[in-house]
Amino acid sequence: MRNLIALSLIQVTFLAACGGGGYTSGGGPPPSQNIATPGPPNVETITVDMGPSGVSAVNTAYVSIQICVPNNPAICQTIDHIEVDTGSTGLRILAGALNLTNVPLPQETNGTPTVFMTECLRFVDGSSYGSLRFADITLPVSMKTASSVVVQVIGDPLYPTVPSTCPGPAENTVTAFGANGILGVGPFAQDCGSACVATAVASTYYSCPSTSTCGASTATLAQQVANPVTLFSSDNNGVIVELPAVGSGGAANVTGSLVFGIGTQSNNGLASGVTVLQEDPGTGDISATYKGAAYSHGYIDSGSNGNFFTDSSLSACPTPNTGFYCPASTMMETATLQGTNTTTTAANFSVANASTLFANFSYTAFSNLGGTNPDANGFDLGLPFFYGRNVYTAIENATAGGYVGPYFAY
Amino acid sequence: MKLTGALLSSIVLTAAVATPAFAALGGDSATVQADVARMKGALRITSNAGVTVHEITTSYGTVVREYLTPGDKVFAVSWHGPVNLDLRQMLGDYYTQYEQAASMPHPGGHRHLAIEQPGLVVQVSGRMRAFVGRAWVPGLVPQNFSVNDIN
Repeated sequence: MRNLIALSLIQVTFLAACGGGGYTSGGGPPPSQNIATPGPPNVETITVDMGPSGVSAVNTAYVSIQICVPNNPAICQTIDHIEVDTGSTGLRILAGALNLTNVPLPQETNGTPTVFMTECLRFVDGSSYGSLRFADITLPVSMKTASSVVVQVIGDPLYPTVPSTCPGPAENTVTAFGANGILGVGPFAQDCGSACVATAVASTYYSCPSTSTCGASTATLAQQVANPVTLFSSDNNGVIVELPAVGSGGAANVTGSLVFGIGTQSNNGLASGVTVLQEDPGTGDISATYKGAAYSHGYIDSGSNGNFFTDSSLSACPTPNTGFYCPASTMMETATLQGTNTTTTAANFSVANASTLFANFSYTAFSNLGGTNPDANGFDLGLPFFYGRNVYTAIENATAGGYVGPYFAY
Repeated sequence: MKLTGALLSSIVLTAAVATPAFAALGGDSATVQADVARMKGALRITSNAGVTVHEITTSYGTVVREYLTPGDKVFAVSWHGPVNLDLRQMLGDYYTQYEQAASMPHPGGHRHLAIEQPGLVVQVSGRMRAFVGRAWVPGLVPQNFSVNDIN
């Protein structure tokens, strides 16, 4: 119902396809934005809308993915509203959106044939728990494929007993999670990495002699949930999220492109004027300076639905929008982002009154949504920052456009 | 910010026996020992102006600090590391209150959570490989201790 209303109000403007440009940083108009045309071999369609039924998402970007039983191209299901997240790693599907009876994905074992693996995915506001299963996946527009991908099936009914070490609140349903799944295409190749190879890290991977007796477990890199991009046969060193600009009042929905690979095709090179910001290889962080204060936990993240930072000069919203900013008039802000390579670039964004924006219930995309950050050192540029600029996320240890990841670039 | 030179004594221990017990917020220093065992971490103890800080570091880089009153009660915890903490363990008796509050719609979605209630403050932020958080019980914070020093 809500989705239908939203679709009838499309007011998306592509500020795209200008080509050329010759823009140099330091002044003048922003560079023109080229949005790659969806299709093979490497461009997927992204949609920002209200999300699956029962979810009223804001600033959340989605793709569709086809999931198949490995080596069984006839036993498949295409699932829409998979969130594109450059701040996490791995493909995860909600069991509520996947018909495991029709598409019986085989489970991953810990090496012993009858001992299966599960995972607790930790967020700051809860956890998602479920089995690990193998799937052949296809991104249906670009036709990018990967085989025998380890996928987390969140809320898998075969594992109804969530271990006590996987704390709540549980985010194991589509409505609690806010999507039918999540496609983590962030800077890391695996979700946990070497730490989980060496140690049974708390609240992460589990081995299950039975479906109700899962205990903390190590996981080899191959057993871990991996960034699917790294599993493609080509265009596998990173992604570019390309979303058109959104006007000050917001938009009902937005259509853009998720480009696979950086510097691997004619449509995904590091464009002139783009600045590469190397990330801390351990945390994926860059740093930011804003109004004279330094922020050591900076990042650009499509999985954040606002720009979140501390600014006591911006008025906080009254309930029910507490935590967002509600300035009397829209504020133009500038931060300076700095990579670990000491390269800096300006990040310009605006902050409008969130309560005013949200009053337009049918709109889901807002370029000027900002909120407080519980981390005093945090500077999180979320999906609002992506509108109108192409944002590159290069994967750790991969050479992408002449630079080695992890890095952000725009 | 780090624990600075203003902190006095400093002892380094390593984890020993496992005594499972829920610990941390509202608990005493014995429950901190249980946390050390549970996390298989190394313990470092510092103190300043009557407040004792037990810092637990795990092999995979998570650092947890538990702040104890002069009366040996954990009034605050902070943490940072590649995975978010098991808050059921860390918040102890306050976990239920946290879970109820965290279940409510909030800005920041999966990335940011701020709970400010008279009896409990929780601030958590981050994403895979980089989490940072802290929690305290306002009524237990010693006078003359600034919550800005919980970090």
